Amino acid sequence: MSYAVLTVPDFALHALCRTEAALRGRPVALVAGEGRRAKVTEASAEAAGIAPGLAATLAMSRCPGIILRPREPAAEAEAQRLLVAAAFTLSPRVESTAAGTCTVDLRGADRARTEALLRRHAAEFAVGGLPLRAGAAATPLLASFAARCAAPVLFVDDAPQFLAPLPLGFAEPTAAQAAILQGWGITTLGGLTALAKAEVGRRLGSAGVLLWERAAGEATRVLRHVEPSLSFAAEWSYEPPVESIEPLFFKLRRYAERIALELRAAGFVAERLALTLLLEDETDHRREFRLPEPGADVEGWLRVLNSHLATVRTDARVAAVRLLATPARPPEKQDGLFDTGLRDPALFWENLARVAAIVGDDRVGTPVPVDTHRPDAFVMERPAEAVPPPARAAVHPPYGPTLRRFRPPWDVQVACDAGRPARLHGGRLEGEVRAADGPWLAGSDWWKPEAWAAETWQVEMARGGLYLLARSAAGWSVEGMLD
Amino acid sequence: MSGPPQTVSALRSLLAARFPEKLRKAGGEVAAGTPPLDEALGGGLPAGRLTELVSAAPSAGGQTVIARLLEATQAARQRVALIDAADAFAPDAVAPDLLRHLVWARCRSPEQAFAVADILVRDGNYAVLVLDLRGGAERALRRTPAATWYRLQRAAEGGSVAVLVQTTIPLGPAVPWRLVLGASLPLARTAAERAAVAEGLAVQTERSPAAVLEELAG
Repeated sequence: MSYAVLTVPDFALHALCRTEAALRGRPVALVAGEGRRAKVTEASAEAAGIAPGLAATLAMSRCPGIILRPREPAAEAEAQRLLVAAAFTLSPRVESTAAGTCTVDLRGADRARTEALLRRHAAEFAVGGLPLRAGAAATPLLASFAARCAAPVLFVDDAPQFLAPLPLGFAEPTAAQAAILQGWGITTLGGLTALAKAEVGRRLGSAGVLLWERAAGEATRVLRHVEPSLSFAAEWSYEPPVESIEPLFFKLRRYAERIALELRAAGFVAERLALTLLLEDETDHRREFRLPEPGADVEGWLRVLNSHLATVRTDARVAAVRLLATPARPPEKQDGLFDTGLRDPALFWENLARVAAIVGDDRVGTPVPVDTHRPDAFVMERPAEAVPPPARAAVHPPYGPTLRRFRPPWDVQVACDAGRPARLHGGRLEGEVRAADGPWLAGSDWWKPEAWAAETWQVEMARGGLYLLARSAAGWSVEGMLD
Repeated sequence: MSGPPQTVSALRSLLAARFPEKLRKAGGEVAAGTPPLDEALGGGLPAGRLTELVSAAPSAGGQTVIARLLEATQAARQRVALIDAADAFAPDAVAPDLLRHLVWARCRSPEQAFAVADILVRDGNYAVLVLDLRGGAERALRRTPAATWYRLQRAAEGGSVAVLVQTTIPLGPAVPWRLVLGASLPLARTAAERAAVAEGLAVQTERSPAAVLEELAG
């Protein structure tokens, strides 16, 4: 499970219905073209008997009462922003793939949390009129197949078993390819992938190989990441302008939901809200609200906004509305007297899990030196919840530049002069030694099989740079740079 | 309403006047604990901004800057993330007490380091994020897409974390601050206290928001 795809079927239609209360539960169809050439492109479930491609005039006769509307780009853009914001709650690596579709790079994300979040988003989107479908799988393509089959969330663990019964159309064959495969009796992805890839390539060429790879869900690609929104604002207009305040409430909720989700995805809450009513006479009514408690809870926002709107009287009709949230970090939790705790513990641990998935479980954490003289001996531990208070100043302060280790150490040949390193060669570090300090003899664990002993030198190279050399039974090595 | 700017300098002036916030610090500084560095930055690492520190010579003091930063942030009880592209940090080179507020990500490549930085820069639990790209293959680092840098910069601007990027060559295409450690330390400095070593580091300012502002103003 490395990728997730979030998609909304019939996106343009649902985006429109999401922002217009009058369309909810009614037979609605989107049309493209004008006059007699107008054809239905998408139809709601309530529009019985209406299918894409049907002439608009025919749709009106088949389904009396049907509402025919053109596409609404502003509503689609708003719904897309909501979808992208939902994707950013899963991972910071998000692609806005197409209208109504987002692809998310889930590497490092916790599966249980991701699934719970997807189900929560699907439920919230459904309330708002967007039937969200989400699929997660090993490749973006497989995840998109899963999203198309999801109800509403589907995780694909066994790709061959999932793909086998899917119709061949999922792999998007050309008409010619579809006809040939139909002739072979192949109608499912499983039927195609049961054939040897090389044989398909021999008969259908490189396009056939690509088709086979799509059918196997193998085709992968680089995501084009988008940036999370950092302007938490919305503006919408009314044509014609509205005379009463009631129509504002419906859209206000929709836009507030999107802003709240964007804030949550970015780890912010709203500190203040600014509501501006742009009036028909080109004046405006503006009011700023400082929230009792900073948060991203839409119900709390609406209580504040609606109670104000209920008292508003304007001299002209409302032509547009603007809502702006001022972001702030979530309020810090109460610390113990000597603690400095995490600002957002859930996000902290979630992000550490993501990092661990990238670098490895044992390669992220807080290093704790082991009680030994053996160099570079430490263990990685889980970071502390609270930053502890500073310890008392060390009796012996650290001396000199700080060591920067080479892991593994660089093998090197050392020519000595009077027992002191004079020249390095045969490795990644070569040249004359200007000055050398040492030797320091060290050893530890002599009572164990992994007993260790070495002499170390600090050397300054003639061309610049301080290095730590070690000589052990295995020979000379450069342990690191004093930097 | 005036027309569009007719010259490049007029456009620069217009941009400088219209987006002055892009040239200012996002809010607050985090003391780095290395006096020459803090002085060059006007108080410390700017929160919500990228600061690139270029170690132009070997043993120029970049690792000592990290050690001193750990000490300063521990004193201020702030959390630090170290994203180590070459896995070169030596825990035994600093006092154990100075590690307890550190989250160290031991990466295997600069690509991994950027991926980790992309996650942690948005976290909000860290005061400082150190992205140490030294030790990575120079050719690969030069091939890092500018979009990766801009993405990191945008993410930093959205939060309150100070991002210190350590490199050996200038890499960030539009970082607000670029400082250079240009001189190798001599062997004699190994006998000096680390605080004194840090105080003696030669830090040069190659780029600063004020210089960018002057450049924009023509």
